[in-house]
Amino acid sequence: MTAAVEAIGVGKRYGRRWALSDCTLSLPAGRVIGLVGPNGAGKTTLLHLAVGLLSPTVGEVRVLGHRPGDGPEALAAVGFLAQDSPAYARLTVGQHLQMGEWLNPRWDGDWAADRVRQLGLDLRQRAGTLSGGQRAQLALTLAVAKRPELLLLDEPVASLDPLARREFLQTLMEIVATQDVTIVLSSHLIADLERVCDYMVVLVSGRVAVAGVVDELLASHHRITGARRDPTSLPSGQVAIEASHVERQSTMLVRSDGPIIDPHWVVSAVTLDDVVLAYMRHARDGVAEAPTLAVAQ
Amino acid sequence: MTRFAWLLTRTQTVVVAAALAGLAVAAAITGVQLAHLYTSLVAHCTTGCDLSTAEFTSRDSFFAHLLDVVAQVAPALLGLFWGAPLVAREYETGTYRLAWTQSVSRCRWLLTRLAFGGLVTVAVASVLTLTVTWWYRAFDHVDANQYGVFDRRSVVPIGYALFAFALGALAGAVVRRTVPAMALTLAVFILVRVGLSLWVRPHLFSPRHEFVPLTSAGQFGFESRNGAAAAITAKAGGPMNAWTLSDHMVTANGHVATFADRVAFVQQHCPILSVPPKVIGRGVAQAPPGLDAASRSCSALASRTFHIVVAYQPASRYWAFQSIETVIYAVLALLAAGACYWWVVRRGD
Repeated sequence: MTAAVEAIGVGKRYGRRWALSDCTLSLPAGRVIGLVGPNGAGKTTLLHLAVGLLSPTVGEVRVLGHRPGDGPEALAAVGFLAQDSPAYARLTVGQHLQMGEWLNPRWDGDWAADRVRQLGLDLRQRAGTLSGGQRAQLALTLAVAKRPELLLLDEPVASLDPLARREFLQTLMEIVATQDVTIVLSSHLIADLERVCDYMVVLVSGRVAVAGVVDELLASHHRITGARRDPTSLPSGQVAIEASHVERQSTMLVRSDGPIIDPHWVVSAVTLDDVVLAYMRHARDGVAEAPTLAVAQ
Repeated sequence: MTRFAWLLTRTQTVVVAAALAGLAVAAAITGVQLAHLYTSLVAHCTTGCDLSTAEFTSRDSFFAHLLDVVAQVAPALLGLFWGAPLVAREYETGTYRLAWTQSVSRCRWLLTRLAFGGLVTVAVASVLTLTVTWWYRAFDHVDANQYGVFDRRSVVPIGYALFAFALGALAGAVVRRTVPAMALTLAVFILVRVGLSLWVRPHLFSPRHEFVPLTSAGQFGFESRNGAAAAITAKAGGPMNAWTLSDHMVTANGHVATFADRVAFVQQHCPILSVPPKVIGRGVAQAPPGLDAASRSCSALASRTFHIVVAYQPASRYWAFQSIETVIYAVLALLAAGACYWWVVRRGD
């Protein structure tokens, strides 16, 4: 099976600043993939590379086996919803649908018309006068009615109020349920992704900190608490991602191939939030080592 | 993609077309009146023709000025308002991320929009210059100064407009913001227009030269500036409707007479004229006795010693100049469009 998005040693430089460097990742087809990372991690750059708006300074990006944006076929296979859902302010909703029909060979006009009717959008209303939530819904409609194999959504809900955010994600889940499409959804908020994604990629400073199926990530990570211990002294097959220590006690988030049966530890489950944040901190700071005890007296 | 290009530019095209239609109708109505006036005052004139011709040309019409200004600025405006936003607005509003992720390649998107915009620009400029040239034909005939209005008549305005449009698109692609792109377009357009008019157009064909005796020169006399010694001076122009590039006074052996030569001539042959007349009272010069006679004999001598060489482009080359300059601007427009293509499609980000 070909990966939906594949990046090999990709770097993108703007002037002297590298927005993305040495990025190697493979996003599997057929999943709903969350691309999460702090602001400035290179999420937008990566998505723009994948959709062909940018070309890499070094390395290679392949999307569904094609070079991104290379010809109408490759373009038709990828739907893109850019950050802040751009739309032509002076064109009406109807004219946007018209544009979609004119510019996309696989355009599903019936679906788009249905969608817009369900959303209660007026076809004659100019896009410039739509609310943020309505514009996001319009942009999503345009991207989906194109009938792409891969749908890339760049921070689609970042600028939406909680209600619009909920409605947008609701729409997205309907699409996931009814259509055979790989979706990549970027966000700096894990909560947005948790409800819809079954695969997670954590991007920090342009590098992949962790990637995997959400259920597997949750199953293979544990929070353990016990008497103070150095994280490097864990048995093989267990890696501390994050460790914090108080006087007599250590708490660690560990990745473990099998279950942790050491009675020394109290094992508790982790949330996706815990895992992602641990990896973000890990990528930024490394593991917090147990400080050596100061024996001054 | 063509339909979408039309959708994006429909409003502005319709507005400009309406304004142009209004202008053309006004030009048609006043143009017919003008033709009658020309027939009665100039064409069928039998006596006192200078006076009636002057009456015709001195008609101070609002519409004439309006048309002249429109003809002058329209090409630049098309570049500013149609060319500059073409790509810049897409970047500025972020819609490039929408436009270039549909199933139409960026190459086809840009070429369609450039071709569409270019065609509409050419159409607008053609109708405008046709209107202006037609409306002014009687004035231009009487004025006999076709090179003086060269850049507002016939076909060159079409070339200017096309160039301004492509230049605007290029500036927009480079700067990515509409207003700075408009400023850049205007600055470069003016530089190119002035540069080409001053330094290229006169040299497209080597000029013809004509020897004019001083006696048939337009102005011929003795000139003293700021009380300095007087020099002999004369000016002449080329033939009817020609473009006079330069006129020099030359000696019999063909050398250009410098200012010093012309002062020396007066001092040597008619010293009485060399000393500038004393000014008495309110700027009235008192002529020394015998000045008129000296002036006459000196002039006669001068016209045997000097003559004027006029370098000019003859009237018959008008259409050659028009065609070549139009082609130059069309080529510049293609180059600008090519650079815009490279910047948007090849360079890529």
